Amino acid sequence: MFGVVIALGSVEATTENRETKSVENALLVGLSRQIALARELDVIANNVANISTNGFKARSARFAEYLSPTASGETFQKPDRRISFVQDRGTPIDLSGGMIERTGNPLDTAIKGEGFYVVRTAGGERYTRAGSFDINSRGELVTQTGQPVMGENGPIVFGPNESNAQISQDGTVTTAQGERGKLRLVRFADPTTLRNEGTNMFSSPTPATPIGPLAKLETGAVERSNVKPIIEMSRLVELQRTYASIAGMISKTDELRRTAIQRLADVQS
Amino acid sequence: MRALHTAATGMMAQELNVQVISNNIANVRTTGYKRQRVHFQDLLYENFRRAGTATSDQNTQAPAGSFVGSGVKTVSTGRVMGQGNLSPTEKDYDLAIRGEGFFKVRMPDGRTGYSRDGSFDLDAQGQLVTRDGYLVDPGITIPQNAKSVSVNAQGTVQITVPGQAAPQDVGQLQLARFINKVGLESIGDNFFVETAASGPAIDGVGGGEGFGTLQQGHLEEGNVNAVTELSSLIAAQRAYEMNSKVITASDQMMSATSQMFRG
Repeated sequence: MFGVVIALGSVEATTENRETKSVENALLVGLSRQIALARELDVIANNVANISTNGFKARSARFAEYLSPTASGETFQKPDRRISFVQDRGTPIDLSGGMIERTGNPLDTAIKGEGFYVVRTAGGERYTRAGSFDINSRGELVTQTGQPVMGENGPIVFGPNESNAQISQDGTVTTAQGERGKLRLVRFADPTTLRNEGTNMFSSPTPATPIGPLAKLETGAVERSNVKPIIEMSRLVELQRTYASIAGMISKTDELRRTAIQRLADVQS
Repeated sequence: MRALHTAATGMMAQELNVQVISNNIANVRTTGYKRQRVHFQDLLYENFRRAGTATSDQNTQAPAGSFVGSGVKTVSTGRVMGQGNLSPTEKDYDLAIRGEGFFKVRMPDGRTGYSRDGSFDLDAQGQLVTRDGYLVDPGITIPQNAKSVSVNAQGTVQITVPGQAAPQDVGQLQLARFINKVGLESIGDNFFVETAASGPAIDGVGGGEGFGTLQQGHLEEGNVNAVTELSSLIAAQRAYEMNSKVITASDQMMSATSQMFRG
């Protein structure tokens, strides 16, 4: 099994090994990169689509080299070379804070620094950074999808005649009639393991720990999406060009094979 | 290609954003108008590689999973029920609410409409009506011989008649409030109606527990801030453009693929 070492966008073949198999490898290596780029485009598209989603955290695409196994035999004239393919490795989450936009709405709060709000759903506890809350017809403090936001002692409930609901900097919810609870804010030892659940929420495989007195909220403001348009657009251009150059490489390889077949089939008369 | 559809959801979301912003700007001078705000949420994610899966037989684990989302959706276009500025009009039947509460109006279809627009007038029978001629609930009739009308902060309507020094009460305006006023449904003409989300109306009078007070000779302006709306409009327009760039990019990538092999 003879292989060739292929750097992205160029085929470097040893003179003896220029055979059909290496051309096919070039196609496959190019294809592995194209599949990875298409995946990266999906990630960028999702970031750009969520540029106005409150509390959204961007993801990026990370790739790794995958080395194909080599033949272990010692009898080859030239030692077997490894081929490296591209493999997508993960989409790490960017947990940096989004821009904090003032809305003046008393039930809008943005978390400064790390931390998440806790939301009770049918599927268990979920965590969110989208701090734009409302009060439902039963008087509970809820998210935009209507799930109750948890306080330190369960959901926060307002009476029908209470007015002037306010959330203070440490998360204490008060009305003109008195204190109604304190928002539960949590953190994670390793927030990179958070799973996206859609509807601005995350779930965590590891238990959350209370954030304690360090929690600091900005009230009357929401945290916007942390997608950075310039980065997404430049990655988009880069990706597009790389994809095109690999497409070019693949078609060159194809031409190479066609020429080879034509030349080899030429029988001298 | 998923990116095409993802970017399409982004463009639709921004289109709706622009619609809501333009409606806010169009209503910048509408009495009692409450601006709307769009809330977006991310859509479902596909998980290609779970975080925490084993990466070798040496007990190593993948630290971050591979999640690819499928775009954005609109979750609500809720109203921001903040107080608008009170502008003086010097008209006796112009009323503004300072604080919480809505005026109650009997709609022609039998429902009760709730409004922050207190620009009232009298009809031919001397009854207090809205600009559309709908009766204010509870009905208040001003006698023809009334010389002047005053409405106090609690909503008590008093008149003075010629020849009498003491003013007389002719009615009491009622206000309604809701536990979730954002859940009210807008039906146009500055009216809201009650929904399952808003909860039932809680009646009261001005200055009561949780209610605002009335201000005669004033109207509540819309709570739209033109500067904020215009900057949101610019942001929405640019976001729309960026989503369209993603569509162009995925289109060009597909075109590069289809042109790879010339047969």
